[in-house]
Amino acid sequence: MSGKHLTHDNDQPAPYGDPDTVHSIYRECIEETKPVPTRERTFLAPRLKGIHHLDIGYSKVVTASPGMILDNLYNFYDGVKDTLHEWWLRLCPRPTAITGTDFRGSSIVGRTTYAGRHDHDKPIHHLRVELWGRTWWLGWRRLAEGYSGFDGRFELPYDLRAARSSAIRKIRAEISQTTYRFDRHGNRSRSFSLAVALPIKKSDLVGMRYDLRDIQIELWCYRPDCYIPRVKIDDLQHEAPEKYVEGRNEAITDQFIPVELIKLKHVTMLRADPNALTIEEIQADYPPNLTTCIEARLPGYSRSDEFFGERMMNGMNALTFEPIDGEEHRYRVVNWGYQGYDHNNVYAFPTTEMDFEILPGDHAPRPLQITITGALSAFEHDPDQKRTFYPTDGERWLQAKRVARSVGGLISEVDDHFARTHVNVEQYAIAANRNLRLNPVTWLLLPHLKEVSLIDHTADRMLISQEAGYIPRASALTEKGLKHRVRDALGMMNWKGYRPMPVINDHHYYARAENLFWDITYEYISEFFEHNAADIRAYWYEIFAMSEDLVSHSVPAFDREAHLRGLEGRAYEVASRRLNYWTTRFDHQPQMPTGSYGGEPRALSPITQAKDFAQADPDDWENLKEMCCYAIHHATFLHSWVNEHQHDDIGEVLYSCLGLRFGEHPDGVMHPESDHRIAPDPLRATQMLWWSNLLSRTEYGAITKNPDGDVNPRFGELLKAHEAEFRSYGVLVDNIESRTNI
Amino acid sequence: MNTTHQQSWTGELLADWLRRGKDFAVLWVVAKVFAFSVALFASLMLKRRMSHDNGIAARGTVRILDNPAIPLHRFFLPERTFPCRIRHATATFLDDAVKGIRSMSIKFSDDHLESPFDLQMNTGERSLFWSAASFLQFARLRKQKWGVEYRDYYRKYPDGLSGAIEALRENPESFSDLRYYCKTPFLYIGEDHTLRYAKYRVVPAKMGTRETGILQSPDPLEIPNQRVAAHNPNGRNYLKYEYRDRLEKGSVNYLIQIQLRTAAADEDPEIFNNMKPWDEEIHPWHDLAEIEITEAYDWVESCKTTFHVGNMPETLGAIPAKSIHDYNSLNYMRAHSAIAHKARLLNYRLFGYPPEIPDNDNRNWSDWEKPHRILNRSYDLPPKN
Ligand SMILES: [Fe+2]
Repeated sequence: MSGKHLTHDNDQPAPYGDPDTVHSIYRECIEETKPVPTRERTFLAPRLKGIHHLDIGYSKVVTASPGMILDNLYNFYDGVKDTLHEWWLRLCPRPTAITGTDFRGSSIVGRTTYAGRHDHDKPIHHLRVELWGRTWWLGWRRLAEGYSGFDGRFELPYDLRAARSSAIRKIRAEISQTTYRFDRHGNRSRSFSLAVALPIKKSDLVGMRYDLRDIQIELWCYRPDCYIPRVKIDDLQHEAPEKYVEGRNEAITDQFIPVELIKLKHVTMLRADPNALTIEEIQADYPPNLTTCIEARLPGYSRSDEFFGERMMNGMNALTFEPIDGEEHRYRVVNWGYQGYDHNNVYAFPTTEMDFEILPGDHAPRPLQITITGALSAFEHDPDQKRTFYPTDGERWLQAKRVARSVGGLISEVDDHFARTHVNVEQYAIAANRNLRLNPVTWLLLPHLKEVSLIDHTADRMLISQEAGYIPRASALTEKGLKHRVRDALGMMNWKGYRPMPVINDHHYYARAENLFWDITYEYISEFFEHNAADIRAYWYEIFAMSEDLVSHSVPAFDREAHLRGLEGRAYEVASRRLNYWTTRFDHQPQMPTGSYGGEPRALSPITQAKDFAQADPDDWENLKEMCCYAIHHATFLHSWVNEHQHDDIGEVLYSCLGLRFGEHPDGVMHPESDHRIAPDPLRATQMLWWSNLLSRTEYGAITKNPDGDVNPRFGELLKAHEAEFRSYGVLVDNIESRTNI
Repeated sequence: MNTTHQQSWTGELLADWLRRGKDFAVLWVVAKVFAFSVALFASLMLKRRMSHDNGIAARGTVRILDNPAIPLHRFFLPERTFPCRIRHATATFLDDAVKGIRSMSIKFSDDHLESPFDLQMNTGERSLFWSAASFLQFARLRKQKWGVEYRDYYRKYPDGLSGAIEALRENPESFSDLRYYCKTPFLYIGEDHTLRYAKYRVVPAKMGTRETGILQSPDPLEIPNQRVAAHNPNGRNYLKYEYRDRLEKGSVNYLIQIQLRTAAADEDPEIFNNMKPWDEEIHPWHDLAEIEITEAYDWVESCKTTFHVGNMPETLGAIPAKSIHDYNSLNYMRAHSAIAHKARLLNYRLFGYPPEIPDNDNRNWSDWEKPHRILNRSYDLPPKN
């Protein structure tokens, strides 16, 4: 996706020259700063082993020559091993036909269940179970196959004579997860990835039933200790329920090493001497971003009102504009700051309210005033202090816009990026992965929900944690405040009743693109449901179980009354205004009926209450479609949007950051950009540029490119059919990722 | 026309023949090795039967009934009467009060060994194992300790577990009120020369006698635990005492019943599975003979009394088995156990009979205990005169 050219009010003077020139510069800068050239892999080039080896300090990158040589050797060994393994697999193929003739009288029985303290007796339904014999000459014989039932139980008949054949050396039962892939023509194939293999003594098979008993698998377990629904991952490399596809890690290695090396150099220099580099030097080392590019060609333009309004509407923030009662074409935006959340006293994070004039037609918003509530310097502590700035305020207006941009940056990162896309999507990913296997919704939904749990796990350390994470150390929010905020946000989000942002005028490209994408997704899903209706109904139990998991693990509903109960005076006012912010930002509908669990209303609505489709409510069919649309929409378009625009909108330290420091001046953050004591310190500065490059410039897995063949090509076709319309909103369909994985 | 086709056809026939030959050879070796091992290591050295050491024998008569529902067989001629000997036992443990399987064996003669017709039966309509292979697993996984056994077996084989739940009896009031089943079918070739299969069972002669000792809402996890419960007032010999007392007061009467089915050409092997009772609607039980038991034997005679599956007319004998997985292999194994009986009787002759089970507190025990001998020995100095 990328921004779109600007259109300004014709009555306004054009201080930056001919509007067409401005448009073309804007467009060129977007094009120039977008791609990160793919690096050729040479023998002695630094390497990175995977996303989870990244760190805001020292990532685990092999840079020294002996290390690189060793790494090459290891890679060579790995390659040989893989080749041999592949060759071996070809040599000992696994037949699809079952060996045996008489399947009466003997069977393997058992039950698949979750593992662990909270889940150990809970059955896992519809897991693939196979019984395999290995011959003395290392061939495979398929002895039995099937799926566990709703209650996790399975019974697979096998031929006793075939199993006890003297040709067979050993026998094992295999429990697998099911995955689906598509070829270019949309033909689906199924494959199984082994979760557990249980050896069975051949002499134990003596006919009748042989009981494998409860097979406990720690498959997509919820974290028992978490404030929000998250998947339990103790060891990312060995015990995670999923893995990044190879291409994902390769994309990082290929695209990101140059940026990683810049940061490594900076961190090393700054750890030796904190003043070794200036912000300008740091900025200059990184590839240019949208604002530095524009600034180089149109000085001052990136700080202009036009650019400000444009980015607030169609940039990373993509703000929600609320019409002001009784005032035509005037809209207000609230960006809620630190009030009510745990924070430090180093960085500013005031609440900002911005009024815009948005004329009908192809016009960008024009900022009219910015009201800032809360501390702006180290010398004030009143969180209620209000100050309003106007375009006529000269330098102060520029400074107020910078504060507003930085507040917007942090809000976008925390509320929109982390909460709304990453962890919000993860809760759907867990519930879907726990329950979808045979229902066609599996191959509709899962490709869009993979890898999010892995990247969230990495984000916990890299962005969220107080000790090692970036946000608590480079912004006003502490880890505690962050978690509180994320939980509040999740309490406001529900798949039911979600609609894309209403379009305000022709220039509202974000909303128009979002609506277009939503409509296409819905069309794709409707078509899919029509084609697969019989099987979706037949395996309705999976939908029921997914719905149960979704509701019972979702955070408590952000209930207005419960939230405000017992509060008075200022506390009531703050809580009430904060609630309004959330309600508006996420279009929360308090009247929407949601599910409940443990006697407490939950944020999410149930999809269905019936285990069997015959007993389901007539609305449940539509509910399921709506939920699928919501999950796909959030995991793809919404995430791609906010993720990709980070580099544009927080890729220049002095333009915007996650938090301006109060500094030492009595005016605090209301000071010129030249005062570097209010900008992030050099270490935070290089880290910020590092991760904005990391997140925005190492994307992988577009829906239309479908590099892993997991997305139904029909979705890509539908998007491609609307390519021109998307382009007119500044969105490249080939850049919309199929999943949230960075 | 089709040389290849013919070749493959003969090839297949040969392969099948070889496979059958191998299967039968394995069965023969297993049966022989097993019987010889039991004979040597249990019977000859330890005076042990396979499992039912703890029993009481008794004598009486058996009279074949005139039941037109049963196709005529020359051995079961109506009104034919035999002297008979039976033996009731508790499996495995030398303690009547354990939660255990009880048995009844009948021979149609009052001899400790020889007889024209023997039946060996246990409580429960289903068994705990179903083939020679499964029986070997059963034996291997017994792992008995202090009255707990077969835990691993039950965990692996749920059918074995459900068989146990059905067969175990907890504190039955008397051997005489239980139902005993043969479970494995036998041949039945009557005067009409039609091949039939037969299953036998014994029930109390008095209709409506309540069967005691059936497990009430059993916990599958507790089935391996056959231990005598705390506070159980029953002693180690209570069932044998009860039976002896009962016979002193009068006779004990039973009915032998038979279930028959005509053999078919394409028989489903599952009909031979002793874990799957035949449908009583289709194959009803018919009264075959009446038993009247009048006198109990003492411990020595009870020990001597031995039953053998081979003691049967050929037309009523065991169904031939093909492999260790064949359900009929169980009787094939039993038929090979004669050597073990002889080894045990030889041991009795050479070294005497096993000691009677004492009424002591050594509960849940399954090995012979030597009783204390009275030494009549003094270490006091003789008084000085
Ligand atoms: Fe992201």
